Amino acid sequence: MSAGLVSVLFVAVALVAVGAFVATWKRDLSSALAGLPLMFGGAGVAFAGAARFSAAGDPKIFGQEVAALLAVAALALVALGVGIAGRGSSR
Amino acid sequence: MDSLHAIGFYVSAAISVGGALLVAFLPGRGARGLALGVSGLGIAGLYASLSADFAGLVALVCYAGCALLIAAPRYRVVDTPVGFAWRQAGGVAAAGLFAVLAYAAYRGDFVEATYRGGEIGSAAIGRVLFAHDALATAAVGALVFVTLIGATAAWRMRERGR
Repeated sequence: MSAGLVSVLFVAVALVAVGAFVATWKRDLSSALAGLPLMFGGAGVAFAGAARFSAAGDPKIFGQEVAALLAVAALALVALGVGIAGRGSSR
Repeated sequence: MDSLHAIGFYVSAAISVGGALLVAFLPGRGARGLALGVSGLGIAGLYASLSADFAGLVALVCYAGCALLIAAPRYRVVDTPVGFAWRQAGGVAAAGLFAVLAYAAYRGDFVEATYRGGEIGSAAIGRVLFAHDALATAAVGALVFVTLIGATAAWRMRERGR
């Protein structure tokens, strides 16, 4: 059993698509915010996969670096969104 | 990638995508936050199986924070005025995005190479973050700073408005 770059990209694409679905489908904007970390996670998985399997490029771990930065950015954006969203009632 | 890493990859992929689907369809903020945490666990496992353990640790912490924020009692509901038809169109567009990107990934002619890096690689990532791509690191640091100030200001304004 093995996994290659195409398998990694399929998982990344699925995460990005489900995140986009959450962001567009949810009627509540605060719920739609949950789609952001999913999309960022998908992008991070694609970057990490490219860093793991790609041949060229320097530095070699650029993809891992971007994946870590994307996770931090996702947390920051969700915090900002939850902070500024809402003057309605809690559910 | 050896068999153990491949098994870890596929299990983590199932957990992350399953958790993401639960985020999409579960009602209630608590269940959604838990599902987001499960999905984050899967994403961290994906990073670990891709020899990116440090990114996995960062993702684990960050997604736990996201899950807590989504499930927290301070969560407020903001209904969007967008109609059902537009939201349905957005859902179909997300499916189209999946189809296009999956086709591109399937048809892509990628060159594969042997990975020579370590498992965790925190020192190497630190060198890249603070020496090679210091501007990007500073930009994300500024983003975190601004969002913390914005979130704090928003919370204080809401408390003052009560």
